[in-house]
Amino acid sequence: MSMQRDAMASGRVVAPWHVFLLVALGVVSLGPVLLLVLRAAAASWLYPDLLPSRGATGSTLGAFATPILWSALTRSVLLAVATAVVATLLGFVAGRGLVRAPRGLRELATGAAFLPVVAPPIALGVGIQVLAIRAGVGGSLVGVLIAHVIPAAGYLTLYFLGVLSAYDRSMEDEARTLGATAWQTFLRVTVPALRARWLEALVLGALVSWGQLALTLLVGGGAVQTLPVALLSFTRAGDDRLAAAAALLLTIPPALAFGVVQRGARRTGASA
Amino acid sequence: MIPPGEAPGLVLHDVSVRFGTRVGLVGVSLAVGRGERVVLLGPSGEGKTTLLRAIAGLDELVAGHVRVGGRDVSRDLPESRGVVYLHQRPSMFPHLSVVDNVGFPMEVRGIPRLQARERAMVLLERVQLAPLATRSALALSGGQQHRVAIARALAADPVALLLDEPFNALDPALRADVRDSVVESLGVAGGPSVLMVTHDVDEAAALGDRIAVLLGGRIVQDAPPAVTLSRPATHAVARFLGVPNCVAGTSDGRGTFTCALGQFACDLPAGRAMLVARADAMRAASAIGVADDRNDASPASQITATVEALQHRVGGTTLRVRLENAGSGDPLPLTVVAGIGALPTPGDVVSLDILRDRVHVVAADPASHV
Repeated sequence: MSMQRDAMASGRVVAPWHVFLLVALGVVSLGPVLLLVLRAAAASWLYPDLLPSRGATGSTLGAFATPILWSALTRSVLLAVATAVVATLLGFVAGRGLVRAPRGLRELATGAAFLPVVAPPIALGVGIQVLAIRAGVGGSLVGVLIAHVIPAAGYLTLYFLGVLSAYDRSMEDEARTLGATAWQTFLRVTVPALRARWLEALVLGALVSWGQLALTLLVGGGAVQTLPVALLSFTRAGDDRLAAAAALLLTIPPALAFGVVQRGARRTGASA
Repeated sequence: MIPPGEAPGLVLHDVSVRFGTRVGLVGVSLAVGRGERVVLLGPSGEGKTTLLRAIAGLDELVAGHVRVGGRDVSRDLPESRGVVYLHQRPSMFPHLSVVDNVGFPMEVRGIPRLQARERAMVLLERVQLAPLATRSALALSGGQQHRVAIARALAADPVALLLDEPFNALDPALRADVRDSVVESLGVAGGPSVLMVTHDVDEAAALGDRIAVLLGGRIVQDAPPAVTLSRPATHAVARFLGVPNCVAGTSDGRGTFTCALGQFACDLPAGRAMLVARADAMRAASAIGVADDRNDASPASQITATVEALQHRVGGTTLRVRLENAGSGDPLPLTVVAGIGALPTPGDVVSLDILRDRVHVVAADPASHV
């Protein structure tokens, strides 16, 4: 009702079914997160109780203080950051190269970049696993990093192909004739001019790695415990509380990242 | 042309450039002295921008040489040619303030930031934008961005400055103002050689010390504006410049050209030729009757024409007239200026005064069927 009043005050009329849709959307999107919070905080929640039967024992953050969870979280963060940086650089270089490439080559290379994006991770993982084992990096963090970078670089190549196709290079041309070398032009003009795009690319690259399960399991062989792998282990072991805590940790960073990108886009006037 | 003994700032020698997938300009030669402004005038799609980019080192030269300040820079990188290229729309660096945009060329050359800023402020004073120095460059209007772009170009201390249709994106009301400001900024002793391209004849006449007309991939005329506009080198140049009166006739090869307007001196070989004249070369002297009774009213020796329409423009009124007795059977349309006195009205018969020193006879364009 208060929303309706606000809308009326601003001169817009909100139909009742608009309010219903908004509430339904809130329940669908926030409901599962709320359940995760309840489950992570509760010591026990047995069927058929509607709500947790016992509150948290000891610290309310007890589930989050589990060493195995923090170790997996640290590894996931490291992998996400490394994947984001490597894939962003690869994607930028590939995207820039493709923008200038002859049309036939560009289409061929774009198709190649699409492949790891559209291929199911499980199928991609089987192929990468064979290569990783032969290269001697199977079951290692480096092997998993390479496996994460492959689809992320594909995504970001396509992303930068789009960004750079619309990018006005006259600024760079002018910088060159004003006396800047190619390297100075890149550092002093291209990088800052695309600041918002770099941020978006880094977030996108990190998110590709962040939720990756199939590739991590296949190439890491279970030896590389990331947050999704730990979540799977907790679920298999029937530890719902730790699984809920891990799931919450998996959910929060992407939500924060989305907020950061939105804010950056607003500040630079770019659309999200 | 460049005064004898003065080192040219920019020299193109037999330059050919690729335009898309074909070689668009062939064997272009041109010299621009220090402090001189030459306007390269040609229709859109003629390869003017491509030529500028090739001179700046941003596109490849197919053949020929570019000399800047006496040095052959044909194979040099863009940053070491001493040439600054400005796009049609000023390319402000969005992450820098106005003063830092102007200081950019000095900073990339290793001049300390403080020193670069001081010099940038001097240049901003010159373009009257010093009060806006700390603003974001993107917060400026189009005209102000143009002036910042000029100040930034001057900060690079170029030997040659290339301007690619620099005022095209501006509103007509703002254009003249920015143009004057740019001319004032560039008009300093020992300033850069300025090569500007445009397809706007009025702009070329206002800005250029010389106008080089580019047609069909070649420079077909290179002369001061007054000469280019009043004495186009060819019929094609006259048509491109928009010279309204082109009257076909014949040269006898002995110094006389004959057409419907009479006989005129020319130095062409015998054959078809064309008299070209701007509107101000012919004056409708007076109304001597109306179309129905003109045969009775006009003396036999006088050229008379019937007024078809009046064309009112900011610069004055011209008359669209029709010469009935043009010889070929078809009436000959002409555009002339009105003489002193009351303006005639459509249907009036007027006598035409032809100012012989303002008409010019050129060889007929082979493609012309006039």
